[in-house]
Amino acid sequence: MEVFSDFQCPACKSLYDATNRQLMDNYVNTGKVYLIHRDFPLPMHSHSREAAQYSRAAAQVGKLEAVEDVLFQNQEKWEASGDVDGTVAKVLTPTEMTKVRALVKSGAVDASIAKDQALGNNTYRVNQTPTTVFHANGQTFPYAGVMSWDILKQFLDQLLGGK
Amino acid sequence: MWLGRLILGPIFIYAGYSKALLPNSHFWPWFFFKFSLSMNIANFALQVDAFKLLPPWGVQFVAHTLPFTEIVLGFLVLVGWQLRIFGTMLAAIMVGFSVVVTRAYLLHMNINCGCFATPQPINMEKVLEDAGMAILAVLMAAFAIIEARKPHPWSAPSASGAVAATAPATK
Repeated sequence: MEVFSDFQCPACKSLYDATNRQLMDNYVNTGKVYLIHRDFPLPMHSHSREAAQYSRAAAQVGKLEAVEDVLFQNQEKWEASGDVDGTVAKVLTPTEMTKVRALVKSGAVDASIAKDQALGNNTYRVNQTPTTVFHANGQTFPYAGVMSWDILKQFLDQLLGGK
Repeated sequence: MWLGRLILGPIFIYAGYSKALLPNSHFWPWFFFKFSLSMNIANFALQVDAFKLLPPWGVQFVAHTLPFTEIVLGFLVLVGWQLRIFGTMLAAIMVGFSVVVTRAYLLHMNINCGCFATPQPINMEKVLEDAGMAILAVLMAAFAIIEARKPHPWSAPSASGAVAATAPATK
């Protein structure tokens, strides 16, 4: 599964809150599903690119999950204030934060975000977030929008050949 | 009346279709169709919820019924069957849409209209568009009701001037 997501998108937050944790626990950590997060900051969200930069940088210091969680849980606050840096700093040590800030400032993470956007635009024709692209049995199925855990579980079970 | 039927009927059919079957439209095998439909309805529920008007059960009720109601009403209005009934229902829904969208605009809500599958911001253009369709729908329903009260054009007038169906005169 590739999930094209925007940290400032309310629907992406809904997907993260309602589905992501259970998906990770029941399918990703058990090896049934390989999950890839793709950053797809939308132009109408003024701080989402910055949030994507911080999360990419956090991934390089091994703290992607923590930063992803704090960004989604505090979405309304940093959306209004623009304080992505302060939000991320809550879950990182000072040393980690220094590294993250350096990575963001140097632009080292921009290429990977651009690559995700190009993949979404050119290959999958992503025009909204979240968009989840399922790859199974040699086929590709993009789905736009939020999925509840119950619906996703049923779908994954059937896709994986379960009951 | 004709104008209302020809404009509003197809619009409602497409609106319902796009809510239920777009943007996710994988129809085979069967569980893909179920998943597509569920996701599209879930997306529409989020859009309904964004208006902050209904409780959660109301949001789910609207999300699960409105798309199909629109398709059926659109079809019935297009073919013109029982237009005073179904045209009135369509007009009532259209007036409701117009009021809700206008409210969202006045409250400066930066949300998606939820009218069709493609995101549409709520701006003055949308407000005027919906108001125009609401007026057309009301006029269509009004004319349908007036028309229904008129005698059938094949009826002959009676001696008193009242119009009634007459049997052929026997010799």
